[in-house]
Amino acid sequence: MDKTLNRAIKPDALGDMKFELPEIERFRLGNNLSVLFVKKENLPILRFTLLTESGSKFDADSQKGLANLFARVLDEGAGKYDAAGLSDEFDILGSNFNIGCLNDNIQITLQTLKENLDRSLEILGIILSQPHLDEKSFEREKRKVLTSIQQLKNSPEDIADITFDRVVFGNGNPYAYPVIGYTADVNGISVQNIRDYYKQKFTPDNSTLIVVGDSNRLELETVLNNYLAGWTHSYQKTELKYQKPQENFSIYLIHKEGAVQSEIRVGHLSEKRNEAHFFAKHLLNMILGGQFTSRINLNLREDKGYTYGAFSRFNYLKDSAQFLLSTSVSSENTGKAVTEILKELKEIRKGVKEEELEFAKSSTIRRYPGNFETYSQVAANLISLVVHSLPDNYFDTYIDSLNKVSVKEVNEAAIENFHPEKLSVLVVGDKDHILRQLKELNSGKVIELDIWGKKISS
Amino acid sequence: MIKVNMDLLNIAYEKYKLKNGLEVILHHSPSLPLVSVNIWYRVGSANEKKGKTGIAHLFEHMMFQGSKNVPKELHFRYIQEAGGTLNGSTSFDRTNYFEKVPSNFLELALWLESDRMGFLLPALTQEKLTNQIGVVSNERLERYDNQPYGLAWEILSSNLYPDGHPYSWPTIGFMDDIKSYTLDDVSSFFKKYYSPSNAALVIAGDFQKEKIKDLVAKYFEDIPSQNSSSGESESSLNIINNKFEKNILIERDENVQLERIYLAWHSDKIYGQHDNSFDVLSDILTGSKSSRLTKHLVYDTEMAQDVSAYQFSGKYAGHYMIIATAKPGTKLNKLKEEILNEIENIGKNGVSEKELVKSKNLIKSSFIYSMQNLDVLADQLNHYNFYLNEPNSFNYDLKRYEEVTNESVKNLISSFLTRPFVELQIKPVNKK
Repeated sequence: MDKTLNRAIKPDALGDMKFELPEIERFRLGNNLSVLFVKKENLPILRFTLLTESGSKFDADSQKGLANLFARVLDEGAGKYDAAGLSDEFDILGSNFNIGCLNDNIQITLQTLKENLDRSLEILGIILSQPHLDEKSFEREKRKVLTSIQQLKNSPEDIADITFDRVVFGNGNPYAYPVIGYTADVNGISVQNIRDYYKQKFTPDNSTLIVVGDSNRLELETVLNNYLAGWTHSYQKTELKYQKPQENFSIYLIHKEGAVQSEIRVGHLSEKRNEAHFFAKHLLNMILGGQFTSRINLNLREDKGYTYGAFSRFNYLKDSAQFLLSTSVSSENTGKAVTEILKELKEIRKGVKEEELEFAKSSTIRRYPGNFETYSQVAANLISLVVHSLPDNYFDTYIDSLNKVSVKEVNEAAIENFHPEKLSVLVVGDKDHILRQLKELNSGKVIELDIWGKKISS
Repeated sequence: MIKVNMDLLNIAYEKYKLKNGLEVILHHSPSLPLVSVNIWYRVGSANEKKGKTGIAHLFEHMMFQGSKNVPKELHFRYIQEAGGTLNGSTSFDRTNYFEKVPSNFLELALWLESDRMGFLLPALTQEKLTNQIGVVSNERLERYDNQPYGLAWEILSSNLYPDGHPYSWPTIGFMDDIKSYTLDDVSSFFKKYYSPSNAALVIAGDFQKEKIKDLVAKYFEDIPSQNSSSGESESSLNIINNKFEKNILIERDENVQLERIYLAWHSDKIYGQHDNSFDVLSDILTGSKSSRLTKHLVYDTEMAQDVSAYQFSGKYAGHYMIIATAKPGTKLNKLKEEILNEIENIGKNGVSEKELVKSKNLIKSSFIYSMQNLDVLADQLNHYNFYLNEPNSFNYDLKRYEEVTNESVKNLISSFLTRPFVELQIKPVNKK
């Protein structure tokens, strides 16, 4: 090897990469649960993700928080086990079990060693088919949730995230409300509501099971049919209505006494995920705020030093989406930071440079194999396949689809997807320090909200 | 017990040293077309001094600001362009830098790491320093000052450890210190601690076995070794064992909704003979729904919204913490009493075989689960090399958990947890 090294020259890539995408197998169990399976056998692990489309978007008007509360009570006792007993059964196997609730769905994750596959699935089957949903556990979990809601009041980050959804999606939109719910609503939920929710929404025919790991289709079909067969009831559909709010440029302020920083959220509604535009929007966002060397982070962090980080994303839900830019900055730089953000959004509508697009493509495409490294990464890819109903060849065509995007398409996407006149700017911070800065940005017009997003009349 | 084949945790590696003192650890694993490069420098906030805190972490930021042959911002950009991921982190004992790239870009990662290891100073400017002082100040505000209970750690450690002890200040540093740093501070820090002889480089994953050593030599061999520190903290180490004689109580009113109590005891250092038993004790106290404190405080009596226990252990010392958030209406002193009762109970009656098996099985499976990620594996090789001088210590590490017994857990109570402790009570500010 040549030992005279010229450090000024950046080394090139060594040849091309070979990478094989995992093959997805689909099948359906006797109870109508559909299964997506990807074989991965470098370790004796299996990871199961059960997606049930029963998230908080189905929470009725006075029952915000129902889906989440249901998810919390689901594993608080089933079959012959109480809550502690169930958790013991998983622990003794070294299995990890978790239930989470999102806007669109409830996700149950089970990670197990292969040697404990049967027993882990047996317990999962018991939870799905014989949950107690008993009064005592329900009341206890409800009290815990109510206390958690109270705790949110002192977290500027959480307040900003929750209230921004309310502002952007607008009253009445199923995505406008916090998954955890509101105090008055949670207070009004009864154990019967939870039991009804289980019967109507938490059903195998409304779910998909994603399996990644060391197994084969035949073995899986047998064990899954064996242990999940008792979960059988069927789904009762609810139609959701998604109204679109009136969007005008507005600045909202939530006062947080004594805050030393301001949490900033800027964004508006966006089109739901659509494969025709998805790739151009992805690359556009990479350039604007989707990664460390984006325009926004370089400006706000690496140039101005206003923040520890500033990022943007298209936040795709099943039936809608939002464009969201978030950062937190010290109080004295709040107005300046918002000004820079608005400037960047106007600027990118004038177009991106060829080399910016090349960078975004190169980064995304070359990173692609790494997105399938861990069991949870493979599962995460399959989750988006299911939630957004993507075709099975989506992963195979991914790189081609990205490569095809032109500067022209990205520039069109910028015009179509960023609307400065519709932006909502939400700031959570100390009013005494930032109100004047914010007023200067919008001819004196700042709308004050309480922490849950209700207008405060001044 | 879980029977899984423990050969999975036997990680083959080759370790050698370059003439400039850089340790190199190679682990070949071509199952995916990825390679991780992971460097540990033997310097952390424990090497700082009182009044000059936070420089190890601020320095970590400066390492991403470009070096002689890499313009500002391009370090990040080059790795991202190659489809890689990267970051760095600072702890009490060490600072690490890592990237994971498609294997055909290994040389790029080595070029970048070697350029900043050898040639950072020519690219250092006041503008970059001023900028990163702004970024780090905001990091401190965002992650600590503006978080509910965000200052608890630094209050506890400054009371738990005597003045001047290397663990008595937070890694992020105090705001006044962060804002005080000059270019001279940064460049002397580099000269003192960033010599190749004070670092270890792990390369793990898919690389060409027959070429890798030449490649490492090409980029790292000519970096001169500096007259560098031993890596040991300069703070007076004889004060480390200077334990306090009476309980210390700190009460604070903050912008929080619920009262929270923190109890902290001196415990054992990392890989000390009690370190493993403390981890198992944490599982038994608060590791799951059926764990003792969780079941009693969160489930049966609902006195607490949450409770957690954990062992922090580093090179110079360790401490054991139990933290509980009170439900509205519960007095913190009542929570404290319940926690101390349970500790006393374990001290007298010990724990059950079932509790031990549960904890050991969870630990064992977590070792297997952690093997999924090449970055984690590479970092762990460096971790074991740093603390145990043996990168392949996975089975050793697991074995020390298997050796935990009822007696070794009981013994923690009499040896550590019946000694004086620091108690921090945080309560909501009284609104008029």
